[in-house]
Amino acid sequence: MTTDKKKKCTSNSVKNKKGNGLSRRTLLQTGALLGASATFFYKVERAHALLEKISSSASTAYPLASPENVIYSCCLQCHTACPIKVKILDGVAVKIDGNPYSAQNMIPNMAQTTKPVIAARVDAKLCPKGQAGIQSLYDPYRLVKVLKRKGPRGSNKWETIAFNKAIDEIVGGGKLFASIGEDRHVTGLQDLYALRDAKTAKEMAADAKEVASGKMSVAAFKSKHAASLDTLIDPEHPDLGPKNNQFIMQCGRIEHGRKELAKRWLNGSFGSVNFYEHTTICEQSHHIAYDQVTNSYKDGKWGGGKEHMKPDASHSEFIIYFGTGFVEANFGPPPMAEKVTDGLASGRLKVAVVDPRLSKSASRAWKWLPVKPGGDAALALGMMRWIMGKNRYDTKYLTAANKSAAEKIGEPSWTNATCLVKIEEDGPGKLLRASDIGMGKDEFVVTQGGKAVVVGKEAVVGDLDFSGEIEGVKVKTAFTILKDEVMSKSMAQWSELSGIDVADIEAVANEFTSHGKKAGAEMYRGPVQHTNGYYNGQAIISLNMLIGNIDHKGGMSTGGGHWHEDGSKLKKPFDIGGMHPGKLAAFGHKLSREKSSYEKSTLFAGYPAKRPWFPFSGNVYQEIIPSAADQYPYGAKAIWLHKGTPGYSTPAGQTALKILADPGIIPLVFATDIVVGETSMYADYIFPDAAIWERWGTPHTTPDVPQKASKVRQPTVEPMTEVVTVFGEKQHCGWEAVLLAIGERLDLSGTGKDGFGPGLDFTAREDYFLKFVANLAWGDKEGEAVADADREELMIFNKARRHISKIAFDPVRWEKAAGKENWAKVITLLNRGGRWEDWNDKFAMADGFVVHKYNGNMNIYVENVAKQKHSLTGKRFSGIAIHESIKDAGGRDLDNQGFDLQLITYKDILGGQSRTLPNNYWLSSILPENYILINTATAAKLGFKAGDKARIVSATNKKGVWELPNRDNVPMVGKVKIVEGIRPGVVAVSWHFGHWGYGASDTSIDGKVVKGDVRRRTGLCPNAAMLIDPVLKNACMSDPIGASSSFSDTSIRLERA
Amino acid sequence: MATNEILRMHDDLERALAKPREERSWIMVVDVRKCVGDHGCTISCIAENVCPPGTSYRKVFESEWESYPGVDWFFMPTNCQHCDNPPCMKAANAVAKGAVKKRKDGIVIFDTKVMAKNAKAGAAAIKACPYTAIVTDKGGYYTAGTPKLEKYETRTFFENGKEVTRKNTKGATRKCTFCVHRLESGMLPACVSTCIGRSMYFGDANDPSSLVSELLKNEKTWQFNEKLGTKPRVYYIGYGGRANITAVTAKTCLECHQ
Repeated sequence: MTTDKKKKCTSNSVKNKKGNGLSRRTLLQTGALLGASATFFYKVERAHALLEKISSSASTAYPLASPENVIYSCCLQCHTACPIKVKILDGVAVKIDGNPYSAQNMIPNMAQTTKPVIAARVDAKLCPKGQAGIQSLYDPYRLVKVLKRKGPRGSNKWETIAFNKAIDEIVGGGKLFASIGEDRHVTGLQDLYALRDAKTAKEMAADAKEVASGKMSVAAFKSKHAASLDTLIDPEHPDLGPKNNQFIMQCGRIEHGRKELAKRWLNGSFGSVNFYEHTTICEQSHHIAYDQVTNSYKDGKWGGGKEHMKPDASHSEFIIYFGTGFVEANFGPPPMAEKVTDGLASGRLKVAVVDPRLSKSASRAWKWLPVKPGGDAALALGMMRWIMGKNRYDTKYLTAANKSAAEKIGEPSWTNATCLVKIEEDGPGKLLRASDIGMGKDEFVVTQGGKAVVVGKEAVVGDLDFSGEIEGVKVKTAFTILKDEVMSKSMAQWSELSGIDVADIEAVANEFTSHGKKAGAEMYRGPVQHTNGYYNGQAIISLNMLIGNIDHKGGMSTGGGHWHEDGSKLKKPFDIGGMHPGKLAAFGHKLSREKSSYEKSTLFAGYPAKRPWFPFSGNVYQEIIPSAADQYPYGAKAIWLHKGTPGYSTPAGQTALKILADPGIIPLVFATDIVVGETSMYADYIFPDAAIWERWGTPHTTPDVPQKASKVRQPTVEPMTEVVTVFGEKQHCGWEAVLLAIGERLDLSGTGKDGFGPGLDFTAREDYFLKFVANLAWGDKEGEAVADADREELMIFNKARRHISKIAFDPVRWEKAAGKENWAKVITLLNRGGRWEDWNDKFAMADGFVVHKYNGNMNIYVENVAKQKHSLTGKRFSGIAIHESIKDAGGRDLDNQGFDLQLITYKDILGGQSRTLPNNYWLSSILPENYILINTATAAKLGFKAGDKARIVSATNKKGVWELPNRDNVPMVGKVKIVEGIRPGVVAVSWHFGHWGYGASDTSIDGKVVKGDVRRRTGLCPNAAMLIDPVLKNACMSDPIGASSSFSDTSIRLERA
Repeated sequence: MATNEILRMHDDLERALAKPREERSWIMVVDVRKCVGDHGCTISCIAENVCPPGTSYRKVFESEWESYPGVDWFFMPTNCQHCDNPPCMKAANAVAKGAVKKRKDGIVIFDTKVMAKNAKAGAAAIKACPYTAIVTDKGGYYTAGTPKLEKYETRTFFENGKEVTRKNTKGATRKCTFCVHRLESGMLPACVSTCIGRSMYFGDANDPSSLVSELLKNEKTWQFNEKLGTKPRVYYIGYGGRANITAVTAKTCLECHQ
């Protein structure tokens, strides 16, 4: 990067509205995909002729153009999970490109009926991380054999151990580490597998729920289940569940396919509730905000919410990105970038980016809004203040109170803006029901001209604003309550809180409301990884509700959806959910206390609770290990860390390492990983896992993609891990082999012979995943099945796998697993890496509605959340989006204690999680280390010059180091980079660097030192500076509603290093 | 994005391949308004061409301009321009005959064997090139010195129309070949197909119905270091600042780089 930043940019450049000449929009609306010349390309005979010509000419023979050297799979260098073509030469994967059948990698995507011989030559788009997947697959530090620690946890001293012996040890327990002087008896999984009977489990589960909600007494429970009380963690608290719950499976980047299998195995086979993904260190509060806003009320309950929406960027005219973009991360760059750049170049689209740092997306924006970290709700509410002041919201949309009213005005969605909310003593509470005013049952109520009207099935249009009393009950409309919050501060105050000039707030609010429905407010991690994350998210979604852009072309969309690989729709060929004989009902509060409310537990003892409960959220990753340390609600005896590194990736991750390092807290820790990672370094055993390109999965697709999509990840090369034998069958070591082996030892239901039912064994991973693929091949409805593969496709399928041994690819074995009658269809799917809806003119149309609509309600006011009390303060939460300051777990404002720089973090496009930079050397040839980014003004104030080294310190990390038990400390020191593209006073340090695992350190295996690679030690990881919650003391801060962990609420100082 | 430009370029490619080589005229067009600086093209090139460690035939330069908060951040992708009047050819062939050839379809090709044996020819080419497009293969591998030298580095690959390994290219100067090995097999260059911003175009300038011909006809384009008389085959569209993304001159970049 050059530093000629002082040169003035003269703006005599020609302003170009619609593009010079060639109107791309016209082309898109032509309908015919390619025009007359297209037929030329699609002719199979031409493809064959060309291939023959190519292969007959030695000088131009390029084997990677041939379909028999290509296997389609699915990337996972980031969670966008792009479908890919992996090209194989002499049995080695040498090149990865995008899959042209995939709707997220080529627009329009290649017709599904296109023959592989043609598709092989067409490479679709893929980001640098996907290209560098070769280097994650063939990482020199990949584990091949099972390791057992030969020193204290974290000392990185290992011995190889036979797979079977390792499995025997973790299942049987005992004094497993006597040889290194540890006398402790380690509980084996067999002792945790206490509750084994399906019938008993089902009955206890139902009754435990009754006890938790106060409907059944503990004494009654104990009496009824006297014979099984010894299976419980604590008979006085049956709602904690059985001892089985003390076995935790904490998964990082697990994805669909493996996710369903994990739950099937851990919940249904082993009987533990404690399965986790990583979502709260990712973007959970944004999901929870969407989930709560889209929840519907049915049969006395709220539920059925959607996880997220994205702008229909191909048709948008204005998008404001809060804390994210379309280039570096989000979900994700390959599907998103092109839609935006097309719009920017043609003049169709203008974007604004809200980010304390000038991201690459912001570099393409009309306005870069350098917001104060955490000030996103303030900005959104400031925009709403302008919008409400000028009446620039869609009144017609907002006043339609139900589905029939929406249909009358041609809207697929509607809001509860006009619904009346009861104003309690402590503020707005539940929504008014007809029964509250003697007018019916639990229907909602609006006013029309100030008179109460019940919202039934007939179309109802309500007053947007109402504040008063109905039958003596104090009420306000949802809209009025939101307006109260919006107007509670002046524009100048919203400007101060957000850090954005009033003129800019007004300009973006104006732009946002000047494009009809073709505008969208988008967000990702930036606004939500704060303690006020959920409210920030709700505020941003509220902007979309004000203009009613849901389901409109260019507005917000839930995306194209997917076919159901679990067979839950068509129920054939394999309704997997019903194919688990002897399935256990897992029950009890999860260790993280997610999806449970404090008030509905036997642990309720007034406020404050010992640790926060998260009734609305799930996968509360940062709470798992610290809760085990506090033994609240109970302790953990065994933890399986899978493809995740909580000690590195979580804010204040060092707290997790401290707990893991002590075998007295969690006696058994084992991991499945592809290398010795930062956290798996603290395990007792590491089982090598298959890497992404060596295994199976059925990832789902971002709502950014308007077409229906089901992706398939399948092995492209022989897994590198050692061959083991499970249920008498040779297979490569990996996560699936481990869970099957444990199943074999403990005779767990749903595994082994007849694991899926009579005659349907589950003895290797293919038995599970090929059934998923078979389900996809048949679709969700009759008539949706893909065509059978013809002879040529079958030949290509087999030939493409000629480099894989029978252990990893046996077509006879695979056909059996998939079901003989499904095999030909499965091959069609595997030859394309999944199935996608074909492009048609409806997707090209710029106006009207998106093809796959949400068609549902949107909650301006979220009753669910308003009813709930904060588990420590006992105060109710807000039903509308509010501005809230950053608070600790006890609800107290933070005192920055003289640390006056705000730390934020971000992802570079070159990095995903731990597995990309700097271990992928191609990527690190462009970015060998990360930096401490500060503004020129900040640098001048602190006296830093470019290239100076600085250390990051915070109130809970005054030394500025990663304290790693049983290892040398790793300092948080890095080179200062002085840029104009960051808000003064903010310090940005990217993710990806500062490794001590993943080949960065020397490792001892069987007494031999495997030298670490200094290239992998560069840069710094800022997470250890992120604040430890002063109330919890052993975990980072969290959002009490959405449960997102706080990445960007920490104030720091920079010290000279 | 409209009408699937990738498939259209494939179509253009097949029509071109149906003609004799001397009737094709390969050019590249880069719409920098759509470049998002992700470097996918660079990595794709490195993977495809097994570039020497620390190098790539293709680079995306980044440049920050102006001051907070009106900051601009530009991305400029570059590679060998396959000049019609290539300075590298003059310089290198003066040292070693046949080191550099200009093909009839426009591609400038290095002879790997000649270059590997004549370091001075390569050095002359590097000195002469005004586009920093040429790299030297000093040998070595990314995974050398790690627990395992990986096969994706020692494999055979295609360069300048021949099947080679890094052993053959050691000592040679190397550069972009417009992925001629892919072209001849009916595939687009590795940088063109992988671009997530869809900023890359490639095709036959001799075919008036090709997408690149249409772009040259209908868009305002500019070229790097045009005044040097190198006659490059890479054309650029765009460059305005952040507030003016649809501008079509390289006013800013060419202030320094003309």
